[in-house]
Amino acid sequence: MEKLVIFLGMALATYFTRYTMIAALGREMSPLLRRWLRYVPPAVLAALVAPAALAPQGRLEIDTHAWAVLAGAVVAWRTRSVLWTIVGGLAAFWLLRLLRI
Amino acid sequence: MKGFWRGLLATLPLAPGVVAFGLLYGVMARQVGFSPWEAWAMSLIVHAGSAQFTALGMWQASSAIPIILATLVINLRHMLLGASVAPYLRGLSPPWKALLALWMSDESYALAIAEYERGVGSHYYFLGANVGVYLAWPTSGLLGALLGAAIPDPGRYGLDLVFPLGFLGLLTAFLKDRTGVAVAILAGGLALLGTFLLPGKWAIVVAGLVGSGLGLLLDEVQKAWKNS
Repeated sequence: MEKLVIFLGMALATYFTRYTMIAALGREMSPLLRRWLRYVPPAVLAALVAPAALAPQGRLEIDTHAWAVLAGAVVAWRTRSVLWTIVGGLAAFWLLRLLRI
Repeated sequence: MKGFWRGLLATLPLAPGVVAFGLLYGVMARQVGFSPWEAWAMSLIVHAGSAQFTALGMWQASSAIPIILATLVINLRHMLLGASVAPYLRGLSPPWKALLALWMSDESYALAIAEYERGVGSHYYFLGANVGVYLAWPTSGLLGALLGAAIPDPGRYGLDLVFPLGFLGLLTAFLKDRTGVAVAILAGGLALLGTFLLPGKWAIVVAGLVGSGLGLLLDEVQKAWKNS
């Protein structure tokens, strides 16, 4: 029962972060704000990729992860496809593992 | 409605990543004393991966309030995600907005915003992507909790790379001009620096805010340059 209360509290906290801005930024939005918001996706996506590639354990290391993401970046650039980027990056990872690089 | 199925299918390439971390979550939940059904319930009710892993880590030494506060802080990045998708949702009714916010994950947000950027996005696509991730996360968590310790570490098979690789594929939609490229490079560098200096998910919040702010600044400078 106590667990359920904590789950519900966590769900509420999560929902608060997901809903407030969607609800708050209503019909009237200044052009400056809109132009700023357009740069949020590339910033956030890059921020999700870079640490996972270069510091998977929280410290800088150029290893299999980094090379696999680099290979994925080339595939992404050529194909712009999520599926092929994942396939290409993972193939590079497994190949490098196999060759023990 | 066709958009819904497209959104749902678009989550399939990311599924190995969701399942790998879902299984791991289930195993960890058992280790801190959850029953498989409790592990399942948490994923169904909360549906926020990083926050759930953090909660498990705090479970034995902490009480309700610190766990809920940690959840709030870890998910602050969703305010940034919500703000950036808000311009596309302006025409929707309040129930639609409330529904889309409910299961918005990093992954489904990224799929939806890239689709909007390409000019083919819709709230049905967004909902489909949300539902796709929502179907996979609690199910794999339950499976992990039932199977127990037989689950290997996702990092061994590179499955921890599925999300970053997917995000990389979606990032290409935003690299149409030099400012977009500059923002991505700056934010990536900032996030890397941030992971060494800041706890939890703060690096993403800071890099997202500062990176996009710099994008706007570069825009303004370019404009002033042209007009002079």
